[in-house]
Amino acid sequence: MAADLSNEAAPDGPPTTDAVVPFGVAGAPGEPTLRWAGHATSVAGIEQELGRIWSLPQALAARGGAGERLVAARTSVLNLVVVARSPELGEWAASTIAIGTGRHPSRTLIVVPTDPDGPAWLRADVRAYCMVPRPDAPETCAEQVYVTAGGDAGRHVEAIVAPLLVHDLPVTVWWPGDPPFGTAPAEALVGLADRVVVDGSRWTGDGLDRLRALAALARPSLPISDFALMRQARWREAVAAIFDHDAFLPYLRSLRRVAVTYATHGGPHAEAATNLVKPIYHVAWLASRLELRVTKPLARAGRATGGGRARPLPGAAPEPGRGLRALLASDRGPDVEVVVHPVVSGMPGGTTLRVELLAERRGSELRAEVTAEADTVHVRVWQDGVEALGRVFHAARRTDADLLAEAIEAGGRDLVAEGTLAAAAALAGPPSAAPDAGEEAA
Amino acid sequence: MAPRAKSGAPTVASSPAAPAAPAAPTTPAVPAAPAARPAEDPPLTARALRLARPARRRSGTRAIANPLREGLRLERMPDPAAFVLFGATGDLAHRKVVPALYQLWRTNLLPHEFAIVAVGRRPYTDDAFRAELRASLEQFSRVLPIETQVWESFAERIAYHRGDFADPALYEGLARRLDDLDTTRGTRANRCYYLATQPSAFAEIIAGLGLAGLDHEQHGGGWRRIIVEKPFGRDLPSAIRLNREVGKVFRESQVYRIDHYLGKETVRNILVFRFGNGIFEPIWNRRYVDHVQITVAESIGVEKRGAFYEEAGASRDILQNHLMQLLALVAIEPPATFDADALRDEKVKVLRAIEPMAPADVAANVVRGQYGPGWVAGEPVAGYRSEPEVDPASETETYVAARLFIDDWRWAGVPFYLRAGKRLPKRATEIAVRFREVPHALFKDSHADPEANLLALRIQPDEGILLRFAAKVPGLGVDVRAVNMDFTYGSAFSVDSPDAYETLILDALLGDASLFTRSDEVEKAWGIVTPIIEAWADGDAPAFPDYAAGTWGPEAADDLLARDGRRWRRI
Repeated sequence: MAADLSNEAAPDGPPTTDAVVPFGVAGAPGEPTLRWAGHATSVAGIEQELGRIWSLPQALAARGGAGERLVAARTSVLNLVVVARSPELGEWAASTIAIGTGRHPSRTLIVVPTDPDGPAWLRADVRAYCMVPRPDAPETCAEQVYVTAGGDAGRHVEAIVAPLLVHDLPVTVWWPGDPPFGTAPAEALVGLADRVVVDGSRWTGDGLDRLRALAALARPSLPISDFALMRQARWREAVAAIFDHDAFLPYLRSLRRVAVTYATHGGPHAEAATNLVKPIYHVAWLASRLELRVTKPLARAGRATGGGRARPLPGAAPEPGRGLRALLASDRGPDVEVVVHPVVSGMPGGTTLRVELLAERRGSELRAEVTAEADTVHVRVWQDGVEALGRVFHAARRTDADLLAEAIEAGGRDLVAEGTLAAAAALAGPPSAAPDAGEEAA
Repeated sequence: MAPRAKSGAPTVASSPAAPAAPAAPTTPAVPAAPAARPAEDPPLTARALRLARPARRRSGTRAIANPLREGLRLERMPDPAAFVLFGATGDLAHRKVVPALYQLWRTNLLPHEFAIVAVGRRPYTDDAFRAELRASLEQFSRVLPIETQVWESFAERIAYHRGDFADPALYEGLARRLDDLDTTRGTRANRCYYLATQPSAFAEIIAGLGLAGLDHEQHGGGWRRIIVEKPFGRDLPSAIRLNREVGKVFRESQVYRIDHYLGKETVRNILVFRFGNGIFEPIWNRRYVDHVQITVAESIGVEKRGAFYEEAGASRDILQNHLMQLLALVAIEPPATFDADALRDEKVKVLRAIEPMAPADVAANVVRGQYGPGWVAGEPVAGYRSEPEVDPASETETYVAARLFIDDWRWAGVPFYLRAGKRLPKRATEIAVRFREVPHALFKDSHADPEANLLALRIQPDEGILLRFAAKVPGLGVDVRAVNMDFTYGSAFSVDSPDAYETLILDALLGDASLFTRSDEVEKAWGIVTPIIEAWADGDAPAFPDYAAGTWGPEAADDLLARDGRRWRRI
């Protein structure tokens, strides 16, 4: 019985209190079901636990029937390695991954380094989650190993991860929160990885240093998936849809100005503390698709003057800064002015509020504005001052689980992401020329 | 095939040395190609070759691609268009076509400048028809609940147009309506006609469209495409006739004949499986393959389609199209490219390599059957002759099994066993490739004889791939047992697959005909099936019913394989 088995499976740890459902007992469709829970205090113990899950006769017979003798169907797609810098982040990552159980059979290793100055120790929860996508479908299972490592063990995450990877399967490394780019453990992990997943919009500070570091990491054999860029797909669809119109397409090569408005909370240091990754990605995507070079990276446009007032009136909303400006150049068209400017808003800092494009061609002007709210994206286009297009796209915001699923489903290079990331780093400019970083040390 | 001259769509003169490809449109680009060169003076220089090329199509294809589309879900958005749905009040429109269009709209895969003109005989106001569609969507949409805002934006693009398909006034009114939509909805003179009617209405609708000039592609924009549902004809002569009727009005490149099986994800996966993996192709031939079984089994009866099925039977309903398409995909040579004509050329080669049967061979190679009363899924069910709208003495087959040979280098001597039936024990479509036995029985002391390897491509349900191989039973002896290694797509890619109709309608709007059948393909398939149907018509009355509902067909079907020392795979 499963309860007995799970207790058996905890030879070097306390008995589990998790509600384990035995193999062969149907779980609710669409809901991950915990089929196995065990503990270990060493890498060898974890390996042993993982082996035991699939040696269960119940697991082997789970899909049998009609006289068929089946080999256990443990379809594996990838190794997912998550390095979380706090237990809270680790738990959040674990719950996000559990949502995708039926979607991506994988071995997930979540490693939470802790107590770096203490003695070396390791504790692991080894679990198997299974899911029936629909009532008549076979069950799909995924392994999850949650490792908390203290002292030296936590400083050498790669030494924990490497022996636990399923052979010959791609390795995706996901860094929720701030990735420790530039550190030896991070470099060692990147050495194991076939894909790196991050969320640039959740980095602390303006995120530009990490953006540069991420771009430096990218190479053809190491695709990068950034949730911040992936979330903007609905914006990109909307902007691209403008130029699906034959009448507007020729203007694309005659862009003169790109302006991105983003949310900030105001105040004297708000601009430096607001994450700029998403606003910059909008510009970077356009620059890379249109083969525009960055001739002047983003730089502060000037001090916030608040319309000439020396200081805000008492009780007035805090004034945002004046944003950043850059210049792009093309071999085929005019230079393109870039403005990335903040607006005080109740939206989370760094949220894109508006993307505006201005193009001029043969004396004619095209102006486009894209905005988004909740599950819709609005597009408006004016040609020579006359509204020429108004369109609403229904596109729900994607959850982290959706984005993670998409990131790990992606195979091979993503040239658009590569180009966008490179352009974003160019827009961010060299560290010395960068705006006040305001990021905490990794 | 040289393009025909059509009023409003002048054909560019082309030399015999550089004939216009069938897909080349007749709308000339600027500058137009030069006048025809003498046949004995073929172009020799690069410039001469370039100038001799048929004019490039301007309408329907963007001169410059939108660079922002790269990496997005669609690298090209369908052109603005009006979608004219004939038979809009029918079952197919409500169950499949409209839900597919709604889903495409919901996911922003249709252009903003899109309109649907629903054509039917019954009287409806626009609002009444939309309300009926909404009710159908509640029942048949694969994504529920219906989102009100999305529905409203979709519904406002739907207009109902009443008329009799035989009445020229219908098409004149339709032409005016479509012209209006070009102005009000910006559909830019692009039209996609979808024939979701009874097959008997196809010819008269196509003729009506032609008479009203609704087939004319316009200079500088405005394509016309027509999607025709299966069955395309009911035998070879009628298919040829229908192709001829279609060809009088539309060029082949404008015609999209639907076999929805080709839009199924798992059917498309057959190509990926065969040509995206290096390990299978070397053994995919007569040297290693013993035989192939293709099964399309349904547990349902004829439901409310008794009248239709009486005229069709399993041979016309499944064998001529679905089974032939699956056979072609299993057997084709690798196409040079993945474009529509390269793929269809290869499929036609396979069908051409199947020798039509002489009447005397039909009895030995084909089995038909009809279900009687029985039990399916624990429920008693009526026999076919007791179904609504079915003749109590019906001779229509509800089951067909055939043994075919593909006489080419790759498959010579390898039998392909095909079967399709209604009221079988379960719904299952699969292709099973049985490999040859090992040349020497090394483990003859084993308690069970090792079976030959088998590879099954399951199409539906539970899409996946199964490989059966021999393994040693753990123990001191050398006991060998066959085991299955079973891969299900759902366990690796549990993503939401589009419905076949979504795929196919989107492809038609994008002008991609890869997953549609071509006229010669349809005729070749009929060329195989028609002699069978004719032999039955000329022969004695069958002893129907000959299998009980809920069983795997008549005994004669088992005998068909037993004579070759084989048996149907247990599904």
